[in-house]
Amino acid sequence: MKGWAKYLVRWEVFLLLLLLAEILVFGHLNPRFLRPRVLLGSINDFTSICVVSLFVTFVLVTGGMDIQAGAIVGLASIGMGLLWKDCGLDIWTAAAIAIVAGGLCGMLSGFFVAYTGVQPMVVTLGGSFLYSGIAIAVTHLSSTESYKGISGFPRAFTAFSKYRFWGIIPSQMFIFIALLVVSYIILHRTRYGRAVFLCGVNPAAAEFCGINTRRVIMSTYVLSGASAAVAGIILTSYLGTAKADFGKELTLPIITAVVLGGTSNLGGRGGVIGTALAALVIGVMRFGLSMNGVTTQYHDIPVGVLLIVAVGCRTFMDNPSLARLVRRGWLAKT
Amino acid sequence: MGELKRIVPLRELTSVGFVVAIFLLVGMVNPNFLSAQNIMLCLNGSVVFIMLSVGIAFVIISGEIDVSVGATLGLAATVSATMIRDDMPWSLAVAAAVLVGLMVGLLNGVGVVAFKVPSIIMTLGTNGIVRGLCYVYSSGKWVENLPFGYKSLSQATLTGRPGSISWFFFATAVVTLLVYIYQTHTNRGRHFYAVGDNEGGATLIGIPVGRTRIIAFVLCGVFASLAGLMYVSRIGFVTPVAGMGYEMKAIAACVLGGVSLSGGIGSVIGAAMGAIIMASIGRILVFMQFSSNYDNTITGILLITIVVADALLQRRAAERARRTLLTAKTAITPEEGLP
Repeated sequence: MKGWAKYLVRWEVFLLLLLLAEILVFGHLNPRFLRPRVLLGSINDFTSICVVSLFVTFVLVTGGMDIQAGAIVGLASIGMGLLWKDCGLDIWTAAAIAIVAGGLCGMLSGFFVAYTGVQPMVVTLGGSFLYSGIAIAVTHLSSTESYKGISGFPRAFTAFSKYRFWGIIPSQMFIFIALLVVSYIILHRTRYGRAVFLCGVNPAAAEFCGINTRRVIMSTYVLSGASAAVAGIILTSYLGTAKADFGKELTLPIITAVVLGGTSNLGGRGGVIGTALAALVIGVMRFGLSMNGVTTQYHDIPVGVLLIVAVGCRTFMDNPSLARLVRRGWLAKT
Repeated sequence: MGELKRIVPLRELTSVGFVVAIFLLVGMVNPNFLSAQNIMLCLNGSVVFIMLSVGIAFVIISGEIDVSVGATLGLAATVSATMIRDDMPWSLAVAAAVLVGLMVGLLNGVGVVAFKVPSIIMTLGTNGIVRGLCYVYSSGKWVENLPFGYKSLSQATLTGRPGSISWFFFATAVVTLLVYIYQTHTNRGRHFYAVGDNEGGATLIGIPVGRTRIIAFVLCGVFASLAGLMYVSRIGFVTPVAGMGYEMKAIAACVLGGVSLSGGIGSVIGAAMGAIIMASIGRILVFMQFSSNYDNTITGILLITIVVADALLQRRAAERARRTLLTAKTAITPEEGLP
């Protein structure tokens, strides 16, 4: 009894139920929503949120904050387009360079966070200005007008994100699952992952254990920067254009996904499974709302409410005195 | 000088000096920048950001963060502009805008204090909600065709001639000074610093921590709505995305002005100075013959450089203080003698 109950009363289970409830409600409102092709294909609209939030989780677990990932998405996209179009590089080489550049952008901010002790929020705020600024500046180096974006990519590149295995399962789903597995193994099954958690729980103790906390903290920003670049590449491939402002409105959903997934922004708690589920909850909600005729501009209202209510309830229940009160009421009843 | 130093401590003088230094530096490259008219344009153009930064400084000084001010500005602007366009009395429009700011601030404050939601998450959430409400209220349309009378408010200057200090800037400066005096020379005002600097200590000496934080959020919302009113008058129309991204610029302005995000350090004067820099960066770049495409890049570099430099200086000061303490201790021990 106690064995499986422990697994039932978990935040991840609640998120899974929430996801199922969403699918049922939207499916009831619009039966077309439940067609496997439509439902599975919905992930194409929000892979970037899923991919980036997986690795931003690492940053929040160390007690950091990353609001620059959105800017790196745009920088990677336009940078890759520029390398391909104006420098004449092979598209895959350009993509690889973009990932490395994303990692370097993350490393720069991570360096300042880890080695100077400035609050991560401030550094990544500066980073978001810097990288989005560079993205805009880079756009103007290109021979194409900035508002159009760079397009005309080779077919092989634009096709990989649109391909569907067996005609149903989109390739982006596989990319997401692959990255989920990778990030799960890194964060929850390796020494490095334990070090990331320990840096969030107690940096001093981590230091005494012989962990180079500064390097670990910096590395989490590298991971989030690189994943943002991957998201930028997927977006570029899927939409067929490279633009500087792709990630502009991703910050809210990314942080929402990570926090809704149960990762505390104070560090030391959380996991990628929760983040992945929360990203799906948000993505499916946005998709379902637009399928039922709610325009995109309104989507932030339910997402915001969901974020506040979920986190409010969590912190409320985590409150020891309150939890005791609830338990006492429970005992009195039984 | 002594009297001045007592009222305005070093940190504020540094931030004022920083603005002057930047203006002089740009003036060396292009003397036209230092013309009275251009400086006035810079100052008059920064009123919206000053209001936002002063409001947000309350929250940051008390140790929290508010990223919903951009949306609050947008909603206040949308609501008040619609009322002004429909020939309602202006006082009613102002009241409605302030009410919007009050409600959003109260929501943030209660969420953070009573429900213990971390402030960045709470305000990220309300940012989304309030921005959505902007679309709902305006049904996604622009609010245009505002009466000339209201638009010309932002053009009105103290001397009556164009190109001198506008009434808006004058009012903003007076409000900033009043807030500064309130925060540093009254008991209530100093609570914000106490709460941000040391929450536990503030609780122990009987400061109502929760109430102070809620008041900080409410004031932040109200200042954002006042900024919204100025925004309407200056721009002359309101889009549903009005003020989007302003929250980040306002936070950056506070940081530039020496307000520390860890709470308890800095002042609204610094925040206002930071806001002037933030609002003038585009103009500065033009005068230095850069394309204004580099706006964000320069902002980012400036922000990171200043913050990192500040952190390194502080660390060195702390190290020096520790060393002084250490030598003082070792110097005393032989004198005291062993028992």
